[in-house]
Amino acid sequence: MSESNYTKEKKVGEGTYAVVYLGKQLSSGNNIAVKEIKTSEFKDGLDMSAIREVKYLQELNHPNVINLIDIFMAYDNLNLVLEFLPTDLEVVIKDKNILFTPADIKSWLLMTLRGVYHVHRNFILHRDLKPNNLLISPDGLIKVADFGLARAVPGPREMLTSNVVTRWYRAPELLFGAKHYTYAVDVWSIGVIFAELMLRIPYLPGQDDMNQMEVTFRALGTPTDKQWPEVSSFPGYNKLQIYPPPSRDELRKRFIAATESALTLMENMLMMNPHTRWDTTQCLESEYFKELPTPSDPAQINILSQKA
Amino acid sequence: MSREISQTPNIDNSNSPSTVTENEDPKKPPNYKRISDDDLYRHSSQYRIWSFTKDNLRERRQQTNQRAIALINEKLGKFIEEKKSTLTEDELQTLRAKASPLSMEEEFQLINFYSKKVQVIAQHLNLPTEVIATSITFFRRFFLDNSVMEFDPKNLVHTTIFLACKSENYFISVDSFAKKAKSNREAILKYEFKLVESLKFSLLNHHPYKPLHGFFLDIQTILYGKVDLKYMGQIYDRCKKKITDALLTDIVYLFTPPQITLAIILMEDEQLISRYLEMKFGKDITNNTEDEKKEENKDVNETKPGKTEDKTKTPNDIELDKLLVVIGQCVDVLEKSESVTTEDAKRVAAKNYYCQNPSILLQKLKRKLEASGDDNGSESPSKKPKVEQ
Repeated sequence: MSESNYTKEKKVGEGTYAVVYLGKQLSSGNNIAVKEIKTSEFKDGLDMSAIREVKYLQELNHPNVINLIDIFMAYDNLNLVLEFLPTDLEVVIKDKNILFTPADIKSWLLMTLRGVYHVHRNFILHRDLKPNNLLISPDGLIKVADFGLARAVPGPREMLTSNVVTRWYRAPELLFGAKHYTYAVDVWSIGVIFAELMLRIPYLPGQDDMNQMEVTFRALGTPTDKQWPEVSSFPGYNKLQIYPPPSRDELRKRFIAATESALTLMENMLMMNPHTRWDTTQCLESEYFKELPTPSDPAQINILSQKA
Repeated sequence: MSREISQTPNIDNSNSPSTVTENEDPKKPPNYKRISDDDLYRHSSQYRIWSFTKDNLRERRQQTNQRAIALINEKLGKFIEEKKSTLTEDELQTLRAKASPLSMEEEFQLINFYSKKVQVIAQHLNLPTEVIATSITFFRRFFLDNSVMEFDPKNLVHTTIFLACKSENYFISVDSFAKKAKSNREAILKYEFKLVESLKFSLLNHHPYKPLHGFFLDIQTILYGKVDLKYMGQIYDRCKKKITDALLTDIVYLFTPPQITLAIILMEDEQLISRYLEMKFGKDITNNTEDEKKEENKDVNETKPGKTEDKTKTPNDIELDKLLVVIGQCVDVLEKSESVTTEDAKRVAAKNYYCQNPSILLQKLKRKLEASGDDNGSESPSKKPKVEQ
């Protein structure tokens, strides 16, 4: 653990609590990213997001979760040395010069689910899954990243904040302000990402928190007590417009290229009731991953822009 | 670094889904094996970095102690060397007698004393159980690699509690924390970096409270209808308290959380735990008397028809004999740990203070001499190192 083993060559990003540099690990010559946590700016000492990130990445070691290579202190700053991941799924989705196939989508979804399955079986909730946090390695592997909002699975009586997850990927229980929720919030996010991969535009782009409910329920139906007992007891429920859930035909029309099992998987990830929503195991064992086409070999997916 | 915990048996948290998975599904490949919770635990930083054998642990403390002793002796040597010409024989003697570094055992006493202090203060601040547990754990881990002669433990009490709050998602701003703890911002944050670094950036703790919850649910399932729920509630609370006490000992470095939990339930009610373990992992219930055996079978059959087989079968080859041996060892360690008296702690703290501040020892000697010279024996009340109350 020493700073002298790493170089910071190029600043590639700056967030609220960190600056990211590209550099090299001198001992191996490998490319790395250094996330420098701006500790000195926080009056409460080490920032919570930094603590969460360090805490959870230390425990997770999986091909589809970003690898924390090292941590070191330098000039009163905390530096996380992470594996170098040149791009992310958001960039790929947005770049209209990149063409990808249903087999590519299946491969990405499979890798995402595997990573999140590993996070969940370590009793950790990610709470901020979105295309931008699914990074892609030089050999095409999806890596779940950014654990700044993660937390341990709550005990039965623990109260949580529902103000988590980037709006478009926020599960209905969070939109309702639930004080208790669990793994299902992450599965919902993956469901929305799945839809976005097929549509190549954001599936549920709410403009604000109120509008997010409107957009979500218009697309997927307003939950009722029948599918989700006591959902109507959430504050704010009675102000909602009641939309019927989409028929299979409507879904087919919206997701033209999707197979029946793809739709089934998506529907079950986007189940309103978090108790009946599929968990990552059920998703991974779904028919979608067994039927043709087989998922693309990650290394063979071409995500370089075809512009030139 | 050795990662060996002696004879770790496969204890899974019984309410986890992965234990149910067997090789029965014909669609699975032949060597299909789902990773067990035990495998996951072996990947945790608590196991990788913070689990030791007794000898490892002792060695590590010895190293820390030796390093600090060398440093202190060097400083003392320099101090004496510099003042040699002016020191009286009396003063030299006092220095030799009283300004000597702490032994490993003395350090350990002081750490134990202050760990308790961490618990008391954290409880006083009304923090949740897990936060208190993490505070204690952080504090004790810090002093595995840092000597009390390098860092005064009382300077880390608030720092560890504050970091534990953040790490356990129980955020309090440093200002309101300082106000509640009657400390100040600078003092709390001064060693935060050093602390995180000494913790090897490993912040996730598996405390035994979750296994306790799991075992209690499972005991009530396995011994359904045979345990009084109110009684179970009472011993649950007592066990929870005992777990926090156990965190003040070395037990957490030597055994896994479920092992500690079983040992603690055993200390609370030996009969309950042996009945449970027999039912769950025993090959047959030979230890029970004929009557009990009959009754048990009858009860189980009545309440859970058809399920008896599944529930009593061992899901992953846990050998009961081995398990009992480990739990026995764990009980042994728990029973042997004793608390440190305030007198002992004060004595060690004073010694710690003088070995780092020999000049103060000399001043004290001077005052004493002056006082006895004046012959009215009034000792000056100032400058005595205090163990914080």
